[in-house]
Amino acid sequence: MTTVSNPVDDFTKRFMGDPLPPIGVKLTEQQRRARRARSIAIALALGAFVIVIFLVTIVRLGGNVLTRPM
Amino acid sequence: MSLTVARVEPSIAGVGDYIELMKPRVMSLVVFTALVGLVVAPGHVHPVIGMTALLCIAVGAGAAGALNMAYDADIDALMTRTANRPIPRGRITAGEAAGFGMTLAAFSVVTLGLLVNLVAAVMLGFTILFYVVIYTMWLKRSTPQNIVIGGAAGALPPMIGWAAATGGIAVEPVLLFLIIFCWTPPHFWALSLYRTEDYARAGVPMLPVVAGDRETRRHILIYTLLLAPLGVTPWLLGYAGPTYGLAAAAVGAVMIVLALRLRAERNGDAASKQMFAFSILYLFMLFAMLLVDRMPGLAFGHLAL
Repeated sequence: MTTVSNPVDDFTKRFMGDPLPPIGVKLTEQQRRARRARSIAIALALGAFVIVIFLVTIVRLGGNVLTRPM
Repeated sequence: MSLTVARVEPSIAGVGDYIELMKPRVMSLVVFTALVGLVVAPGHVHPVIGMTALLCIAVGAGAAGALNMAYDADIDALMTRTANRPIPRGRITAGEAAGFGMTLAAFSVVTLGLLVNLVAAVMLGFTILFYVVIYTMWLKRSTPQNIVIGGAAGALPPMIGWAAATGGIAVEPVLLFLIIFCWTPPHFWALSLYRTEDYARAGVPMLPVVAGDRETRRHILIYTLLLAPLGVTPWLLGYAGPTYGLAAAAVGAVMIVLALRLRAERNGDAASKQMFAFSILYLFMLFAMLLVDRMPGLAFGHLAL
């Protein structure tokens, strides 16, 4: 098996010592699951909001929903 | 110059924590009273518009609850009844709750204004503002009359429901407002009688903390004596049928009996707990009977005998 070296890591190693640790936050399993649940809830809420807007538009405009000035 | 950046741990708050932030039990009472205001209003409201109005009112109530919890996190942590709320428990930060509350408040008011009508939207916005700024930020920590004046926020939903249906205000929804307004003090003072230590620890000047048990029991009786006849007025003024009138008189009488027993009690919390529990049933019964009264064929007042 051949290993492909990363030119950025090579450069860092040669001129700046060991490569930097990965940047960013590593989520725990619990945090990842909580974020996923919150994202799904926000998606459902937005979906419900769109449906409400759609239904009220239909109710308010009735048969005129397709009538618009050309 | 040094720059300090606070490291915030990624949130572990679940959907349930955010729902808890919206005070679902308070919200259910708000939605129910608003529904009654909407149904008893004259004229016809399309079910979709009615449901939209109720949804906006529910979300607005949830927003007020979240903003209340964001501001009161410090005292909530000190009271047994509230120590388990999402912010004191460390599930949600006060800032996250404030952001959540403000987003919901803006969405609910703007949506109600655009999809239902402007009067209802202005009233919903005023209710949220009153509950958060006047009650939570100002009155709650400064006067034993906090829940008397602050109770106006909880009394407004039937008026918002009525405004959503009619686009205006009339005597009948004002009566419903007054009923809830007079109901709030005996309800919360009964609770605070057996939570006095909690409120004292948190420095909240509830009536039993400031004026003592005896004075609170006297105040509960006075407000109950005002409330019971007020509960019957929708029938006396011809807004509701005799079914409602009889039911309101009966539950009002029970409220007075409980308030008298509470006044006579010297030791123990039994009477205050009973008063608190029955007060919830009282308000529910009153508004449920108004609903029944408006449904032809269900109430005796509308039966062709």
